[in-house]
Amino acid sequence: MKLFQGGEIASEDSPFLQSADVLVEDGQIKRVGAGLEIPDGAEVIDCSGCVLMPAMFDVHVHAREPGQEHKETIKTCSEAAINGGITGIVLMPNTVPAIDSGGLVQTVLDIVAEKSRIQVLQTGCLTKGRAGEELAAIAGMAAKGVPMLTDDGSPVVDPRLLRRAMEYAKDFGLPCASHCEVPTLSGKGAINEGPVSYRLGLPGIPAISEEICLDRDIRIAQYTGAHVHIQHVTTSRGLDTIRRAKEDGVRVTCEVSPHHLIFNEEHIVDYDANFKMNPPLRTAEDNERLLQGLIDGVCDVIATDHAPHTIFEKQNNEFAGAPFGITGLETAVVSLYHHFIRSDRFGWDLLVRRYSAEPRRLLGLEPVPVAEGAKAEFLVFSTEKTTTYSREFMRSKSANTPFIDQTLNGQIVGVVRSGEMLLQR
Amino acid sequence: MSDSQTPASERILSEADIANTVHRLAYEILETCRQDQPALIGIYTRGVTLAKRVHEVIRAAGHDLPLGTLDISLYRDDLDHLGDMLPTLETSEIPFDLEETRVILFDEVIFTGRTTRAALDGLMDYGRPAKIELAVLVDRGNRELPIQPDYVGVNISTTREQYVKVRFREDDGKEGVFISK
Amino acid sequence: MSDDNRIPSRKDLLDIASLSVAEIEHLLKIAGPFKDLFKRSVKKVPALRGKTVLNLFYEPSTRTSSSFEVAANRLSADVTNFTVSQSSVVKGESIIDTIDTLQAMRTDYIVIRHSAAGIPNLIAKNTRASVINAGDGFHAHPTQALLDMFTIREVFPESAGKKVLIVGDILHSRVARSTSTILNKLGVNVGVLGPTSLVPSGRHEFMQGFRDWDEALAWKPDIIYLLRVQLERQGEPFFPSLGEYHRVYGLTTKRYQRIRDEGLYLMHPGPVNRGVEIDNEAMNYERSLINQQVENGIAVRMAVLYWLKPATGNEKS
Repeated sequence: MKLFQGGEIASEDSPFLQSADVLVEDGQIKRVGAGLEIPDGAEVIDCSGCVLMPAMFDVHVHAREPGQEHKETIKTCSEAAINGGITGIVLMPNTVPAIDSGGLVQTVLDIVAEKSRIQVLQTGCLTKGRAGEELAAIAGMAAKGVPMLTDDGSPVVDPRLLRRAMEYAKDFGLPCASHCEVPTLSGKGAINEGPVSYRLGLPGIPAISEEICLDRDIRIAQYTGAHVHIQHVTTSRGLDTIRRAKEDGVRVTCEVSPHHLIFNEEHIVDYDANFKMNPPLRTAEDNERLLQGLIDGVCDVIATDHAPHTIFEKQNNEFAGAPFGITGLETAVVSLYHHFIRSDRFGWDLLVRRYSAEPRRLLGLEPVPVAEGAKAEFLVFSTEKTTTYSREFMRSKSANTPFIDQTLNGQIVGVVRSGEMLLQR
Repeated sequence: MSDSQTPASERILSEADIANTVHRLAYEILETCRQDQPALIGIYTRGVTLAKRVHEVIRAAGHDLPLGTLDISLYRDDLDHLGDMLPTLETSEIPFDLEETRVILFDEVIFTGRTTRAALDGLMDYGRPAKIELAVLVDRGNRELPIQPDYVGVNISTTREQYVKVRFREDDGKEGVFISK
Repeated sequence: MSDDNRIPSRKDLLDIASLSVAEIEHLLKIAGPFKDLFKRSVKKVPALRGKTVLNLFYEPSTRTSSSFEVAANRLSADVTNFTVSQSSVVKGESIIDTIDTLQAMRTDYIVIRHSAAGIPNLIAKNTRASVINAGDGFHAHPTQALLDMFTIREVFPESAGKKVLIVGDILHSRVARSTSTILNKLGVNVGVLGPTSLVPSGRHEFMQGFRDWDEALAWKPDIIYLLRVQLERQGEPFFPSLGEYHRVYGLTTKRYQRIRDEGLYLMHPGPVNRGVEIDNEAMNYERSLINQQVENGIAVRMAVLYWLKPATGNEKS
């Protein structure tokens, strides 16, 4: 028995925090209320100055296992998630080899069972080997419980194949997730095409590369009746397309990453590859429009696109040659608090809805509110403490984050799952 | 560095004193002009001013001697010890042939002798003078190299730690020779 | 010696954008005395005696590397030329590994040319030597910009308010980026002419764009600055053919006669593509500053080497 005493509770239903103690027993939330008596034998955890909120769930994570364990493993990735207040992650299938069969899904799930302390779901490829040439073994993967299909990292270039994939996935009730990009338009691009790419002399990735593919994928979803999930949307025009499609009744959902809300191309200084990801950081105006889309609900969920790479790959060579991607699991909640909640750009309810409740609903899972009778799966967040993202602080194998060595307001001081303290500091 | 305002410094030569000294230096040099016509070369910054003033006095006496300037920054032996404040460069102008010419170098103060050493090296890269002499307004002693001036305005005895500053109206907006206490 | 107008040294010269106007003016000012040295029979000064300059060229460029070599020699520095053909770079060896090796050679200045933007910045962060960017990808070529500005000042001592028309491939030109930046910082107006695929609008922030030569010449430029033009960049053509480029944007004989009649000056960073951006006749134009640019390059590079301060120093101190 554990009594979380003196904190305030956040929920997706109200922008206001509720002062209450929380009693946890046998993995369940037994009681929620102000001034609860301390039951005999209960461990009391002081939560003054803290917010208790449902644990987060990230639908876009690269754990790099199997094949690239020098960057990350399922174990280090899970621990990084816990360090960031996240108790459920969805792994992308662009590992080596790519996860394109039931057998490979099972291999990952076996590792998960042994190495992870949180909920880990594995997605499967749309096309065999992510090669974009023929359909992957979708039925076999569905039988192993994949919640979503995607060739993430690349688009399905051939529209005919994507159409067949969507039609087929629909039969299994699986959403198709799209990494939207026209490869020939992106070319060797390294950052957003515009004044900054010109100034730095770097090849640019034009916004239309993302927007044209996004447009196409939504039209195919509309035509086939499939559910398309647009990954990491970054441009205001793309967002407008999604908004219109939703109004037209297309089954489309989308995600936005914390870094596309917080940073833009102007933040890329001194060729720091920790600001290099795909899709790239866009403009300050896009930051604002994406934030508005998140508040309006056009953006369904927040997802980090956690993409670990070693320092050698990221920092020891030319910017244009460095791999795309940054880590995000450990910085998401604190950076969103630091940049948006603290300054009242949005409330706690939005964070809970878009990063805990809606991501679970997207995959057909139950949300985990901090409420009597619910599963005890929440995090304790101190608004008084700060977090310094040193290499030592981070549990991920990689530290390729723009927040490296920065100090942000807020700290995750506890993470609870199934009544167990996965993290306490 | 603003010296006259520095309370610990004392003016030891006034504007009139400097004028007299320049005059005396000029006449000392003028006497040597009976043998040959020397060229005058001032070392940047105040050596240039000193050379011009001496040149003017000699010209008034009927001898228009060749006049040049020399920037010795690139020949200094202490460039490595100056941190990130390196000397600004000036253009050296030597509008006459140095070969077989007697040259008189001008510097406002001689102290360690290192500036003169740099000036000698610098000058040689412009040609091979018949003879090089040195004229200074102030000799404050404490030499670190075996170099002696041929024409001296005033001798001042100082310790190594003191500073001696010559200020000319053209360069500094004020005039005088100052010494720290 | 008056301390008032001295400008503190920097460790590295990576681009023009990060230089202040005072720093640029300082470099242009001290380049003058260096150029005067060329008139002496002894062109060498001992300022960098005992120092080592490493010319690290990952892209072949005889002109720029010799210019740096002559500049370093005239300052009495020892020069090591290290030309790496990109294809011979050992697989798996990063630039940082190479730099660690070079660090062990105790070089004081590294002059780097590389086909990738940002490599000089990366090296500068990882070495105590002063790093001079001699051209990185499409990013920057700061000594070219300084020599261009120095050359313009020789013909127009009061350069502010003058107009320079840059013609050609802005998109793939580090020269255009650095030179337009220095011109802009010193109050020179910059115009630009070229096909939109090479002169994309909305990117180059302070250059005024023109549609054709007539419109550009009606702007009354003082200097025409031609850039080297290539048909393909990484296998992608940006205009239909070199012949078509020449007809529409090249300095044809007819256009050359017009700029000669108007007495405009002509610049080019070299090497020149005869018959593409410029016709033969224009090469002998008396108001062409192309050879002057080359000579000034040495003086400006001497000024840069003199002004930068490596963090190598004396290990005892």
